Amino acid sequence: MLSVSDLTISFDDNQVLEGFNLVLESGDIFALLGDSGSGKSSALRFIAGLESAQSGAVVLDGNDLSSNGTHQMRPEQREIGMVFQDYALFPHMTVFQNICFGINELSKENKVKKVSELLQLICLDGIEEKYPHQLSGGEQQRVCLARSLATSPKLLLLDEPFSSLDKSHRDQLVKEVREILKKEGVTSILVTHDQNEAENFADKIGQIDKKQLRIN
Amino acid sequence: MDRFCFKSNIWIALLALIVATPIFVVASAWLLPGGELWAHFAQTLLTDLVISTVILLLGVGLGVSVLGTILAYLVVMVEFPGRRWLEWALFLPFAIPAYVLAFVYLGVFDYSGYAQVWMRETLGLPGFDIRAGHWAIILTFILVFYPYVYMMARASFKRQKIHMIEAGKMLGASPIRVFWKISVPLARPAIAAGLLVTLMETLADFGVVSLFNYSTFTTAIYSAWGDFRSIEVAAQLASLLVLVAFFLIYFERRARGKAKYYSTDVSHIRPYTANGWIGWLLFAFVFSVFMLSFAMPILQIIIWSVDVFAKEWSGKYTSFFASTAILTLSAAVLTVTVATVLALPSRCKNQSKILQMLIHLSTLGYALPGSVMAVGLMYGVQNISLVSGYLGGSSLNHFLFGSIALLLFAYVSRFMAIAYNSTSASSEQIKPVFEQSARLLGASRFRLIWQVYLPMMTPGIMAGALLVAVDVMKELPATYLLRPFGWDTLAIRVYELSAEGLFERAAVPALMMVIFGAVLMLAFNKLDSSRL
Amino acid sequence: MFTKRIIVSILALTTLVVGSITLVQAAAGEVVTVYSSRKEHLIQPLFEQFTKDTGIEVNYLTGKGGDLIERMKLEGKNTPADMFMTVDAGDLWYAGTQDVFRPVLTDALQNNISPHLRDPEGLWTGLSVRARTIVYSTERVEPSELSTYADLADDKWQGRLCLRTSKKIYTKSLVASIIHNEGEDGAEVIVSGWVNNLAATPNAKDSHVMNAILAGQCDVGLVNTYYFGRLIEETPDAPLSLFWANQEITGVHVNVSGAGVTKHASNAEGAIQLLEWLSSPKAQAIYGSLNKEYPANQSIASDEIVSAWGAFKQDDMNLSIAGILQADAVALMQRIGYK
Repeated sequence: MLSVSDLTISFDDNQVLEGFNLVLESGDIFALLGDSGSGKSSALRFIAGLESAQSGAVVLDGNDLSSNGTHQMRPEQREIGMVFQDYALFPHMTVFQNICFGINELSKENKVKKVSELLQLICLDGIEEKYPHQLSGGEQQRVCLARSLATSPKLLLLDEPFSSLDKSHRDQLVKEVREILKKEGVTSILVTHDQNEAENFADKIGQIDKKQLRIN
Repeated sequence: MDRFCFKSNIWIALLALIVATPIFVVASAWLLPGGELWAHFAQTLLTDLVISTVILLLGVGLGVSVLGTILAYLVVMVEFPGRRWLEWALFLPFAIPAYVLAFVYLGVFDYSGYAQVWMRETLGLPGFDIRAGHWAIILTFILVFYPYVYMMARASFKRQKIHMIEAGKMLGASPIRVFWKISVPLARPAIAAGLLVTLMETLADFGVVSLFNYSTFTTAIYSAWGDFRSIEVAAQLASLLVLVAFFLIYFERRARGKAKYYSTDVSHIRPYTANGWIGWLLFAFVFSVFMLSFAMPILQIIIWSVDVFAKEWSGKYTSFFASTAILTLSAAVLTVTVATVLALPSRCKNQSKILQMLIHLSTLGYALPGSVMAVGLMYGVQNISLVSGYLGGSSLNHFLFGSIALLLFAYVSRFMAIAYNSTSASSEQIKPVFEQSARLLGASRFRLIWQVYLPMMTPGIMAGALLVAVDVMKELPATYLLRPFGWDTLAIRVYELSAEGLFERAAVPALMMVIFGAVLMLAFNKLDSSRL
Repeated sequence: MFTKRIIVSILALTTLVVGSITLVQAAAGEVVTVYSSRKEHLIQPLFEQFTKDTGIEVNYLTGKGGDLIERMKLEGKNTPADMFMTVDAGDLWYAGTQDVFRPVLTDALQNNISPHLRDPEGLWTGLSVRARTIVYSTERVEPSELSTYADLADDKWQGRLCLRTSKKIYTKSLVASIIHNEGEDGAEVIVSGWVNNLAATPNAKDSHVMNAILAGQCDVGLVNTYYFGRLIEETPDAPLSLFWANQEITGVHVNVSGAGVTKHASNAEGAIQLLEWLSSPKAQAIYGSLNKEYPANQSIASDEIVSAWGAFKQDDMNLSIAGILQADAVALMQRIGYK
């Protein structure tokens, strides 16, 4: 389903990943653990097509997304969803407009239906007309998730989405998100530095160790 | 991301080049001879001019930075009596053209002005020549231009997170220490941006300096042109101003550094409250700035205009006002549209150095005296026209001279700095995560710009548009030279009457300008606060 | 959000529409087009009367003299201007050297205007005379103390003299005439004497000079008489008076405001008609009363206030010379440090 092979990334003279390989099956929920500066986020952003690398190839569902460290497809063509650490909801749009951003081509009726389904899924019905600044951090992250899921991505990337939340909300949300992803059967990769969070979230856990991936 | 940048960069570079046309024309004057006049200037004016220009720039620069920053800090961080209305009232001096303010000050404070008459007759103090030396003109410029720094610093202070200030307080720092050690360093890029605009405008000013009979670099420019009829040397001198502005921009960029400041939520809480006599002292300070820079001059203008209103007022004012409004608004829209396009490349990861330089070049017109820029533009059109003539095309200058199009182009070129300052700052404040999300959600470039960048840049775009509008309203030399028949503006009326010594009558159009400008400033304020 | 966008689009559209308008002149009737550095409020009443008398419309654009000359040069044969009107002999002379004018020497002009107020070849014609002379405080100066421009350089005026800035064209023409009359060295002595006697930084306006004298900052100054006329009209009892300078020798320095028909005029006939009309008694009387200037047509009596100052002897140096010597005058003042 997803294969990342021979990924090498360095910043200036500092090599963080060398010959990183990863294979995921459809529906896998995977957590990538690593300390800050270990290159885990960069790996994720390479998969998304947002950053470049010295070498590396990404194949998703039989399509070559990237090879030899250069991107064959631009981020907007990849059908990959991503949830960021910073709340990345567009501040000038309502929740409804945010979620619909990726499904612009649908008819108004279908949009309304889809948004309402997704909000039910994330247990936040009825907030369509609210603006992001009226929501709590956890709520914002759940809307981000809904926005990414709206496009039915082949792969969902989560870049430390829980780290800005306080501890008590975090554990709860980690479980909820896992359940949602399981239910929808979305192949996902979570990047985190928290062992506990990784264990609660993922089926498989990998750790970056000596610039390479070690599957626990 | 980079593919898009590359393709559209060519068009953006072309746009920047077009905006910078007058700069190139002015700089090309070095190809023409001018030797003798240079020798004359070198022997007579130049040393004094350079010294007095430097003193003026230093004095004004220091003054506006200090005054603008302190005022902004007070209204954002401290609660004191009258703060709410003073916060927006401090914007109002923008609406008064610098030459009008200088005029009023001279009328009040010069030897024959009633302030000095009162001082001599009541207090028995000796009279003095206010135009001698540097301090009076420096003070005038400070009171005219402090709003630039005030506006930028205020916006920056508002973005400073309250808990950063609170952390400072908890660590036992006094308000003054917090000001110096936390707030000012964080606001430095904003202060530098306001300072840059001020210095460029001071360099290009001719109205205030001629009223004070103070000699700056522009004096030599006008002398070369007006006295010695040498447009070449005038342009050569003017291009030196551009060079100075270029260095100023360079230093401003350095002051801004790599530090990107992304907008965060603005808080309404003020960390400090000044009660009792300290509060009233602060009020007295801020109020006196407002009095000096706005209330007093306006009162004087009103007094002047009341007497002669019936004599001066006529149906022509409808046309003066309409021309002013149409030119002002269309120039603002046009300038800010171009400035928005020019601000987009700053979103690209690897912005090309050449493009960056071209864009900066396109903002240098602000440092050119208006009439030099206008003549530069006319020569530019003339050259293009000659080329098109050789190619068998029709004569462009016939079509362009005296057209609104050329005048609007002059405005765009002249006021790009103001608009670009605003739009680029707001573009740089957009966190990269927004465009990354949008792209992963499959957004095309068009949607990214139209639905993400533009709405998020709206406050900056609006602010830029209003500043340009106010500046165009006050603009005289380029309008005077390039306007079509029948497009006299209020600024032209003010000039024509005051040039003939009819100051009372000139107060009527001046008052209309101030009212129009104040309405624009209030609109700006309304917009600004609705965004918070 | 959408309304905002609509507003922006509408504004942008307006801009484009306005931007593409190039003013098409109304083709109704005959029109003479004038570029003028004489200010709008001083020419408009004249043109109105001209239209009433002849039915010819006058379309005008005001601007600074140098700017307008540059504009006409660049517009070349496409210039809409049929006539160029300005307020200084230096500008008229310069426009003549820049091939902007065509010679017009009609009988009417030659009869109406005396030769020293016209270009010898008829490129331009003076239409009003502006005398620049001494103004003094009647409280602190006796007229017997005054005599010539040169006398103001005398030590007795130390700290008592106010002058207008050297950047103003009237000052330049005056100094040019002094160079003509006294030679370069003589002029240098006079002007540096003035600068030594200054009580204050040179003023931006003639009216400031008079205000300074009234306030006691200085006792004497040099002004164009119409500024004095306006002041006296408003405050008849101001303790100020005019003194005619150089009466024993060359006479008072006079400048002109004037006009010429442009080389590429598309309606040269109309422009000549306007020029002749402007020199006619009727127009000359308006000139005098509008701005307290002296009519260039000597058959016309001055305005009431103006005639009260009495007759005086004019310097009859041909005014082209003021133009030719202007650059020398500026160079001299800059050398001396007259700001």
